[in-house]
Amino acid sequence: MTEIKDLNRFWNAYKESRLGLIGLVILLFFVTLAVFAPYIAPYDPHEMFKPMEHPSSDHLLGTNDIGQDILSELIYGARVSLFIAFFVSVVSGIIGTAFGLLSGYFEMFGFFLMRIVDAFLAIPRLPLIIVIAAFMRPSIWNLIFIFIILGWPITTRIIRSEVLSLRTRNYVEAARMVGAPDTYILMKHILPNVFPLLVVRLIIEASHVIIAESSLSFLGLGDPVVKSWGMILHYAFVYPTIFISDLWMWWMLPAGLCITLTILSLTFIGYALEELVNPRLRGMTRI
Amino acid sequence: MHRITKITGYVAIILVVLSFNFFLPRLMPGDPLSFLTGAPGMDMPIVLDEETRAKLLTYYGLDKPLSQQFYDYMLGILHGDLGWSIYHNAPVSDILIGALKWTFLLVGTSTALYMVLGILLGAISAWNRGGKSDVGLLVSLLSIGSFPPFFLGMLFIILFSVKLNLFPAFGAQTPFMEYSSLLEEASDILYHLFLPVTTLVISHIGGVYLLMRNSMLNVIGEDYILTARAKGMAEWYIMRKHATKNALLPIITMIALRTGFMIGGTILVETVFAYPGVGRLLFDAVMYRDYPLLQGAFLIITLVIIAANFVADMVYVQLDPRLKHD
Amino acid sequence: MTLLEITSLKTWFPTRDGIVKAVNAVDLKIEDKEKLGLIGETGSGKSILGMSIIRLFHSSVKINIEGKIMYKGKDLLRLSKEEIRKIRGKEIAMILQNPTTSLNPVLKVGDQIAEAIRLHQRLDKRTAREKAVEMLKAVKIPSSDKMANKYPHEFSGGMKERAMIAMGLACDPSLIIADEPTKGLDVTIKMQVVKLLREVTKQRSMLFITHDLGVAAEICDNIAVMYAGELVEYAKTEDIFKNPLHPYTQGFLNSLPERGLKPIRGMSPSLINLPDGCRFHPRCDYATGICKTRHPEMVEIENGHFVRCLLYD
Repeated sequence: MTEIKDLNRFWNAYKESRLGLIGLVILLFFVTLAVFAPYIAPYDPHEMFKPMEHPSSDHLLGTNDIGQDILSELIYGARVSLFIAFFVSVVSGIIGTAFGLLSGYFEMFGFFLMRIVDAFLAIPRLPLIIVIAAFMRPSIWNLIFIFIILGWPITTRIIRSEVLSLRTRNYVEAARMVGAPDTYILMKHILPNVFPLLVVRLIIEASHVIIAESSLSFLGLGDPVVKSWGMILHYAFVYPTIFISDLWMWWMLPAGLCITLTILSLTFIGYALEELVNPRLRGMTRI
Repeated sequence: MHRITKITGYVAIILVVLSFNFFLPRLMPGDPLSFLTGAPGMDMPIVLDEETRAKLLTYYGLDKPLSQQFYDYMLGILHGDLGWSIYHNAPVSDILIGALKWTFLLVGTSTALYMVLGILLGAISAWNRGGKSDVGLLVSLLSIGSFPPFFLGMLFIILFSVKLNLFPAFGAQTPFMEYSSLLEEASDILYHLFLPVTTLVISHIGGVYLLMRNSMLNVIGEDYILTARAKGMAEWYIMRKHATKNALLPIITMIALRTGFMIGGTILVETVFAYPGVGRLLFDAVMYRDYPLLQGAFLIITLVIIAANFVADMVYVQLDPRLKHD
Repeated sequence: MTLLEITSLKTWFPTRDGIVKAVNAVDLKIEDKEKLGLIGETGSGKSILGMSIIRLFHSSVKINIEGKIMYKGKDLLRLSKEEIRKIRGKEIAMILQNPTTSLNPVLKVGDQIAEAIRLHQRLDKRTAREKAVEMLKAVKIPSSDKMANKYPHEFSGGMKERAMIAMGLACDPSLIIADEPTKGLDVTIKMQVVKLLREVTKQRSMLFITHDLGVAAEICDNIAVMYAGELVEYAKTEDIFKNPLHPYTQGFLNSLPERGLKPIRGMSPSLINLPDGCRFHPRCDYATGICKTRHPEMVEIENGHFVRCLLYD
């Protein structure tokens, strides 16, 4: 009962942020594209027609260098890009939170785990991914795997520092004194308070993954078959006359804009959520 | 005491990175040399002549026991021997040094610019919270920061190079050009630097701006700001003298961490603009499966970032008077 | 000679949950060299009252201030931002609560005192610093020259309060507004601070804001009692103690340790939803039906003794 009331209150507060709403609308648009791709796209994205066609009534965005309809590629690309982003952020979020809770609550475990986390965080992400991807076969699941492995440490660190401060709260001390088992305290007292932080992290991580994945794909390290937006841009970029002719307008621009708008929506949502979660940032005016 | 633990920590991380660099090719599926000789199942078989093959075998020292290989590897690093590049047919260290100066120029200029601008705009935004300038800055910086660096770079090339013909689309200098003076060379370099730097600055300014804005908002709510106002000090003076230093402290370390993220953008920008820096080398090495170069470039990049973090750590301790006395 | 005259001061904050009516139509006068105590519990609006005099609010805070505050012939509420800045620190100095958070942790204490001196008296850096050291000496901080170069976290609690006082006195103001200067201090330190304040305000006026009646009794000539944003009683210090008229004042006195620590029942009212009629009626033992509907006015009972209560109306 209280959960529904809390959700309502949360939604009411969220609604006040104009940026948050704009972000949500844009994201929902892309999610719809992704989910209903087979019904929205005019063609199968793998089907090949005459290559390098200019936009026409048959192909609203023309065809690429091997004859695939660009608009259909774009719509199906939403599936790939969004799937990777959310899958990675949720899974690394779960792993990161689990480790964060445990390492924050149990001293010994925390000390050793944080050394590992520090090592992970010291190594720059994109170069590492590039190096690993160079040695591995470029496929969507390999990418997802790498992103998850590299994504959980940051979440762990953030959750852990929150747990460390929560641990000293009165109600936690009280629960311990009464003899409540650790799992109970973790689940009932600490996790619910960590949850808002986790949600914000999920959104931010998703936006980072989209940037990372599209960058990798752009560099040619993405999955050549299951094409994401970044991959579309890769093939556009390596085409010789992409800049000199008008080709870029329908081949490069739409894919790039899709990536940009998705990142924008996640950034806005993340900003709105952070304002809610961090009361010190709140003021009279909601932006 | 504190300092020793910190330094040990950094040394440990460097050792981890070096080991990682060593073990990676040996851990990858299949025989390490199979990707060099084009075993079945690999996408890009490379045909090597006997001489290069022999060089690489000795480089990887695969006939010797693992511990020996590791020892040789570490020794080689200390002597600056990073191996031999297949594609460029030259020592990796030479190639890297040539490229490093361009990357430093690019990253250095961009970092200085986006940090100063980001901090300034963040402070102004926070001070005018909710006002027109704040909302305007927030929305515009968040929006243009959403463009992935490579896309932004491509758009700039189309707009400024192709359409308007204002700036060159690639390279660090005009090829084969003879310079009559230092000034001429400097201006040519700047001319080529402009678009890549702009791309990097736009991509990264949003992050620092938000960090500074948040930090400043926290500081604005503090009592000592009220005290300063009670003494009759002017608003801009309070912002400058009282607020900024306090707001900067917690974000200095975060800004240093951002250099790590910046490397990703740098690799992309160097690729798009064909800028001959270390990032571009890394990318080329991946494309041509030039593994020694790949490892060398990766190592250098990582070491530079660790160094940046280290410097930031030291600087932070100097700036906060509360920490100096511990 | 009246130094400061406040007429019908209203300070309201519009918030998402409603309007916070922190100060409601307050009239107050402070004479030359008078020490006036402003007593009230937390949430009574007394600090806000002090801040309203010099309009000490951040520009992004939505606030409505109405009324008149006459100081040396000028209405402080009508002054421009530039003009009020000239008054702050120089003519009217406010010593804020809680010196631990009211001092900037990254600036040296001496600099924080000197900057006000440099601004208002236009002295150069070195002279201003010398004056700052003098001020620290005046508030009895030992080794004032060395201490001026130290940071706030190197000062003890009592010393920090003295530094705040030094900051307030630096430009020789005519009126000092001291907000809870003894809060959180040990009893012995409290007395030292009180003694110090008595000394340095011999030739000045002071508005002494506190919830500690005992301390107020040591310094103040007159006492004004504030509740829920308005003044409910005003009299000479001795009259307040000998003959408290308002039930709230009586309850306040009874809650002192010396008188038995009897608390006033109920809780202080929300400043957004103030009770109808007399603001104190929900907690008053003497409340009758009419107290719930009629809002009492401030009336003079004896010479100089005012009270706002229907018992005397």
